[in-house]
Amino acid sequence: MMMAVDDEHGEPSPTISVGNPEKCVTIPLGRSTASRVAAADVSSLKVGETETGMLVAIRGAVVWKSDEGYEYVRCGPLTFHLKHGTDGASPTVSLGPGSGQMFTERAISRLRNALERWIQREICLSFADAVILFDGSLTVGTPDNPTAYLARILDTARKRGNVVSAFSKSTKLCAFGRRITSLVSTAQAPCLVDVDQVVTRQFNTYPVRLAGHVYVAKLVEDGFAFRLDIDREVSKDARIEAMNRLIASDVVMQGYPETLRLAHIFSAFTANEVIAVQRYLASAHGLRISPRLSIRKSLFGPFGTWEAA
Amino acid sequence: MQLISYPEEDANKGDYLVIEDQRSRKGLIIQIIDIQFANIPGILEDILRDVMTEESIHGSDVDPLDISSQVAVLKDTKLLLCKIRGALEDGRPTRNVGWLPSRINSCISRFPIEDVACEKSPNRPIFLGGIKENPRFIIDAKALDGKLNIVTGKKGTGKSHLSKLLAMSLLDHGAPCLILDVNGEYTNLTRRIGGERSPYEGKIAVLTPRLTLRFTLAEIGLGTMLDILLHALDLPGTSARVFARIWRQLEQDNDLTMKSLGEAIASSDCHESVRDALQSRYNTLVDSGIFADDPSAASSYSLVERLATGGAIVVNMKNQSFMIRRIVVELLLSKITELLSRGRLRAVFLFAEEAHLYLRETYWDDIVTRMRHLGIFTTFITNQPDTIQESIYRQADNIFLFNFTNERDLDVVSRAAKVDGESVRLLVKDLPAGHCLAIGDVVRDFPIVVNVRPLDVETLGGTRFFFEENELTCST
Repeated sequence: MMMAVDDEHGEPSPTISVGNPEKCVTIPLGRSTASRVAAADVSSLKVGETETGMLVAIRGAVVWKSDEGYEYVRCGPLTFHLKHGTDGASPTVSLGPGSGQMFTERAISRLRNALERWIQREICLSFADAVILFDGSLTVGTPDNPTAYLARILDTARKRGNVVSAFSKSTKLCAFGRRITSLVSTAQAPCLVDVDQVVTRQFNTYPVRLAGHVYVAKLVEDGFAFRLDIDREVSKDARIEAMNRLIASDVVMQGYPETLRLAHIFSAFTANEVIAVQRYLASAHGLRISPRLSIRKSLFGPFGTWEAA
Repeated sequence: MQLISYPEEDANKGDYLVIEDQRSRKGLIIQIIDIQFANIPGILEDILRDVMTEESIHGSDVDPLDISSQVAVLKDTKLLLCKIRGALEDGRPTRNVGWLPSRINSCISRFPIEDVACEKSPNRPIFLGGIKENPRFIIDAKALDGKLNIVTGKKGTGKSHLSKLLAMSLLDHGAPCLILDVNGEYTNLTRRIGGERSPYEGKIAVLTPRLTLRFTLAEIGLGTMLDILLHALDLPGTSARVFARIWRQLEQDNDLTMKSLGEAIASSDCHESVRDALQSRYNTLVDSGIFADDPSAASSYSLVERLATGGAIVVNMKNQSFMIRRIVVELLLSKITELLSRGRLRAVFLFAEEAHLYLRETYWDDIVTRMRHLGIFTTFITNQPDTIQESIYRQADNIFLFNFTNERDLDVVSRAAKVDGESVRLLVKDLPAGHCLAIGDVVRDFPIVVNVRPLDVETLGGTRFFFEENELTCST
């Protein structure tokens, strides 16, 4: 089972290494021939709590750029009632350490991950010679995040000529005493800065493995820099060519590919949709929506801390 | 009070609802005064996302739970701003509204307001028009009896139409009506729209100053003439005393005619300035053409007879000068007040269109106090609400408000004592033409939006146009 890897949540923070940033190679990018770009993202959300567990909604989206513009397929929301503790756990979900609330949180993560990996495998199977964009990183190897599943997805992608790249909106990785995204501040866009060597060195003592070659991508001038993982098994030239095709094929706003941005937008839940899911659950399952009891508020009223306000 | 309304629920401004508290077995009667979209957090984000993506992005949704339809419902969910109008206790309407129903154990349903706002079978029904889910909204003529009424709204919304309906309905019940008509709109009520005779022929007499509305001095009497001279023609008090002396002398001599009055003024031995003042007023009276020396040409008796038998008199003041209008109104009100005081008339329903054009300042208070007690029950009709004094709004028993969009006008009409200002502002500004908000005794203080029914008589109130529809079509 793969761990949910969204913007490196759950990824260990490696030791800060200090050295010479000059050792990182800056790779200039240039527009190449256009190709198909596809992106996938999945969102999960707690929509409520019951006395025995938690109500969860999950939704995934695939967006790709075709000749007619952007197209999408969206799956969900799918709703689940996850009971606290292991009693209500589905036998198909392997249990890790922890129970109660912690178990529920992990179960949400696993549900979300299951949908995400399924969608990722489907787009790797459906597209050919495309640049496939994932949200987050290509880090594997934790108890919840075994290597095999992502490896199969990447393998499928490679067989169909696809190159899988993962953009992290935020990263905790540091090199030379600072965040890796700051390493490109003086570089001229579009470019990649290869930080793989310095980053992988930091993970030597961890069980996790980086299935992607780690870069910092600065795709437009005055845009943001992002951690970028590109399938390690793809040749270096193919990785760079994939990025050249990406900037030639997709709109890149503020340094972030539009296709991936849309996938995020289509999968994310708005406040309105949360209410809609709650309304559905109330009408379909006879649940009554009531505000969450705040012990702090009940005890202290207006004299509580700012958090209770 | 604010309520949430889903798109499939048909809720309109002015509708009445009842919130029934299942536990206490009581209900609150509320009226919707405004409808807004529910300001759900994130709604703007959703709409923006839809707008930005609907043309450039195509795709499909695998939505097994059909949540998207729920989102659509939320986007169109409305917030109903309501006012509490009354309560129900064991099914009986009360004004005890000092409580609130439970938010959890209450159910909301449409409330048939006509059941509590009107008699189920009134003795003197007036079919006013239709309200929501009831095409026959009927009020009791008794609710207009002894009352002060105001009909107001902007031009072309149906004020005069309603006042005609009220006047004709009162006539149906034998109530005498005096209509002061400044635009000649009421002069053809005896004809149906097709031109045939209406049932009101014989019940309505149209009197036009100079032509059919004339009085002898003896009919008028000194008191009425002094009212005209003092209030309509602004004669100073000293001159009025001289005039009264001359009048009494002519009465003693049994020679009270316009001709002898003129001669007496010319030969009076008063100060020259007084004589000049009297002479100029005399000339105005002569020019008005409403004073006759021949008793057979006078109309005073027919006026009394008409009103006493439950008919209506329309005083057509169209194309009359401001001075003539003031003289005529001063004369008629003075005369009718005198007739009422003597008991020769029981009561009169007075319909005053654009009263500011002919009514003197002091009459406003007089109408709501002294004249009302004598039996003159006035309905003011105007499209300039600020021409009616605030005290009139505060004392009005019934107000029929048609559409106003001007904030200043809404400010004025919101001063009515029978309803809160916010309700007036929010309900009136969106009323369609032909719809009015009825407030006051006629609806037992439950403001109701009424679609005023059409009349099958010639109303002559419409605006005359230069360009004709087919002419426009030809030219294009």
